[in-house]
Amino acid sequence: MNIDKFEEDIKKCRFCFMCRHLSAVGNVTFREADTPRIRSSMIWGVMLDKSKLSNADFIDTIYSCDMSAACRFHCVNHWDENGAVLAARRDIVEAGLAPKDVSKLSKKILSSPAAASVSGPSDIVYYADADTMALPGEMEAFDKIAKKSKIKYATATGGDCGKALKVMGYWQQAKERLGEFVDSLTAAKAKTVVVSSPYVYDALVNDTAEFGIKLSAKPMHVSEFILAQKLKFPRAAGEVYYLESDYLKNYNSNLKFPRQLLSRLKASSPAEFTTDILDEEIPYMFGTNNEESYTCGEGAVVFAQLRPQIVKKMAKYVEARVGNPKADVLITASPYTKIQLSKNTKVKVLTLTELAAGCL
Amino acid sequence: MFVSKDSYMFEMIRTELADAVGSEYVGTGDSDKFGHSIDYYWIPEMWHDRGMPTPKPDFVVHPGSAEEVAKVVKIANQYKIPVVTWGGGSGSQGGALPIAGGIILDTKRMNKILDIDEQSLTVTAETGIIARHLEWAVNKKGYSTMHLPASISCATIGGFLAHRGTGVLSTKWGKIEDMVMSLEVVTPTGEIIKTLPVPRHASGPDLTMMFLGSEGTLGVITKVTLKIHPKPAAREFRAYLFKDFHTAMSAGADLMRSRLEPCAVRLYDETETLTHVKKVFGIDIGSGAYLVFGFDGEKDIVELQMKHARKIMEEKYNGTDLGSKGGDLWWKNKYKFFYPGFMFHLPQAFGTLDTVADFAHIEKVYWAMKKAVNEKFPKARFIGHFSHWYQWGCMLYARFIFEGKDVPEDPRQAAALYNAVWDVAIREAIKNGGVINEHHGVGLKLGRYMKDLYANSFPILEGIKKTLDPNNIMNPGKMGL
Ligand SMILES: Cc1cc2nc3c(=O)[nH]c(=O)nc-3n(C[C@H](O)[C@H](O)[C@H](O)COP(=O)(O)OP(=O)(O)OC[C@H]3O[C@@H](n4cnc5c(N)ncnc54)[C@H](O)[C@@H]3O)c2cc1C
Ligand code: SF4
Repeated sequence: MNIDKFEEDIKKCRFCFMCRHLSAVGNVTFREADTPRIRSSMIWGVMLDKSKLSNADFIDTIYSCDMSAACRFHCVNHWDENGAVLAARRDIVEAGLAPKDVSKLSKKILSSPAAASVSGPSDIVYYADADTMALPGEMEAFDKIAKKSKIKYATATGGDCGKALKVMGYWQQAKERLGEFVDSLTAAKAKTVVVSSPYVYDALVNDTAEFGIKLSAKPMHVSEFILAQKLKFPRAAGEVYYLESDYLKNYNSNLKFPRQLLSRLKASSPAEFTTDILDEEIPYMFGTNNEESYTCGEGAVVFAQLRPQIVKKMAKYVEARVGNPKADVLITASPYTKIQLSKNTKVKVLTLTELAAGCL
Repeated sequence: MFVSKDSYMFEMIRTELADAVGSEYVGTGDSDKFGHSIDYYWIPEMWHDRGMPTPKPDFVVHPGSAEEVAKVVKIANQYKIPVVTWGGGSGSQGGALPIAGGIILDTKRMNKILDIDEQSLTVTAETGIIARHLEWAVNKKGYSTMHLPASISCATIGGFLAHRGTGVLSTKWGKIEDMVMSLEVVTPTGEIIKTLPVPRHASGPDLTMMFLGSEGTLGVITKVTLKIHPKPAAREFRAYLFKDFHTAMSAGADLMRSRLEPCAVRLYDETETLTHVKKVFGIDIGSGAYLVFGFDGEKDIVELQMKHARKIMEEKYNGTDLGSKGGDLWWKNKYKFFYPGFMFHLPQAFGTLDTVADFAHIEKVYWAMKKAVNEKFPKARFIGHFSHWYQWGCMLYARFIFEGKDVPEDPRQAAALYNAVWDVAIREAIKNGGVINEHHGVGLKLGRYMKDLYANSFPILEGIKKTLDPNNIMNPGKMGL
């Protein structure tokens, strides 16, 4: 079984409490089952007795994980409970036990082409996935920045990098889809692929490596790309609160680019202080810490389709932490997070790209 | 009353509970039940490790207010079903385990901060809040609860109140019971009561203190007002290495007798210094007994306190100064000790023989326990550190550890071996003037020693329990009650 590869991680996490405060789902459902400790304890139960894999409640809990990987990032030894959950999903799928909603969604994804349509050959390709496409402001903002930087680029739309399938446990399909997706970018002669959605960035950086897929272009999150343009931003962003992205921070340890961009935009936040765990200043921190995931399930990519009620609660949790709902502006690196917050709350949210374009 | 899932009574009770707290907050699924069947007690962990079923609750409820708690408790009285309050489940004594089934009353939905009073410097919160979340929220306003236990990230404030928990800064800022102003409690019969609003008065015995440490046997603590403190301008640590544990203990006790008011003092015996401290710090600090202490407050006062403390360490006890670097290492790594990879874990068998005694007895307790464990269980290692210090004594955080190869594979035999070590060690501690225990509580693990410990005053505790909980529904079988 795939979970067997995570035996050591499972053994470490199954009785460990040290990251439970970061269980974004557990913090809104209040269920012990929605914590790394209990999920891995249950996976341990499956390792001992394979018949438990088919327990409907177990499967439901495994698919209720938001996959933020905040636990792994926090953990002093970075034990990979997140990886164990992913392996359990893979085992569930491979045993033909995928729940109906998961199976339906996977079929829907698989029924559309994996290759992206690119507007033409170009050194720089900006890829807009479905989340980015759902935010026209994001694409307009990117275009404004590109024009100001005198950069010509092609736009890629449609297609599928396989990430949603991967997080749902459809490994082989995810690998094949990512291969086709990458081929479509290669065919467009892209040297740099810029993406707004952090999960696509992660697929291009980490999944390609994991699946042994060669990507000749350099993947860039839009924050890194904007920084590289050395633009002048005459307008200061002012007081904003940055919400970390799961994929940038927890999967790629990329705390740098969003922060550097925010400081280039002269963003400020009054909520800076030192936590005794990190012992370092954290600028642009939302809420009370930069450890919790406030992304509404960005890590699980299609969480809003699979667990809309939980996502709604996660969004409300974020809203409850906004100091001044009338004035505060939240900034996210993730179109997905903006969509969920806008849909479920009244908070003001901008993406990093929109903020940057607004400062031009 | 035991409720079989096949009985229509199960549905009747579930319906009533759903009416009390909302149906989405009543769990009866396998994951919910499993999630509340293992806490931080070694025996249920080992049981699960060996693939054995752990006792499960019938219902898991998440009330959102004291009123909802009261409704649940009344339903439980009606049907005589056990109610086990569960905060974070991080207790090491099996206190929150549903050993007789029934209702798990999970408090975590009651997680609101109700008021931060900047005039009196207090915070009022619901008790299901995770301590880390509360601390972060008051930090944001420039304050601290000063309650920084290693389980800050997983335990609820209610759990700490119920176990009389403590944090790393206890030596100056106190245990949780020193931090409490007042409580709101739902009694076992479902009344919502409040204790007096201030902790110092002469209006009779102290009800607040009666509920603290009651481990869910006398009701559910639903709200608390705690003191908060401005973040200190300075906090400094310094560490010393002493030739042996006795010298280090004498130096530590002297520091406490000097009334210099350190915020933390911690002393590791020679074995723990050599193994555990070295592993967590990642550097070799040499052999001997490692003693670290710190002061916090205004910078000039801290400097002066440190100067006097150094005199004691260096001039009276000839300690090797590891400097502020040696002290900061501890502060920076204070929680690291508890992460897997640094903490003991299965297949090892291990337990924390938490004991507290005055300075006149603490060394005797340490040696007596160590001797007894070493003699009776030669395969067990015995290590200890002294982690919470008072003007009059300190807490011994002694641990026994069996390597996996020395633990029987059969779970019953493993549990028997485990219990036997506790029997020997705890009886030795009590005999030598120790009290079990200082901050982990009693729960299921130590219930059987309560009569030995309290001697002829135990019936008073039993009387209180009977009066408050006539149907014995609140956490039955725990604390020896
Ligand atoms: C890694 C780790 C490190 C630890 N370090 C420390 C430490 O530094 N200091 C320390 O003191 N402890 C420590 N502990 C032990 C544990 O965290 C404490 O005992 C804590 O008080 C338990 O809180 P909880 O919310 O998890 O309670 P639970 O385990 O859920 O419950 C403990 C007991 O309290 C009762 N209870 C819980 N909430 C309430 C309530 N609201 N009203 C009435 N009864 C209630 C339960 O019924 C049970 O009997 C540590 C534990 C772990 C896992
Ligand atoms: S990821 Fe680390 S901190 Fe979290 S449960 Fe696992 S071992 Fe513990």
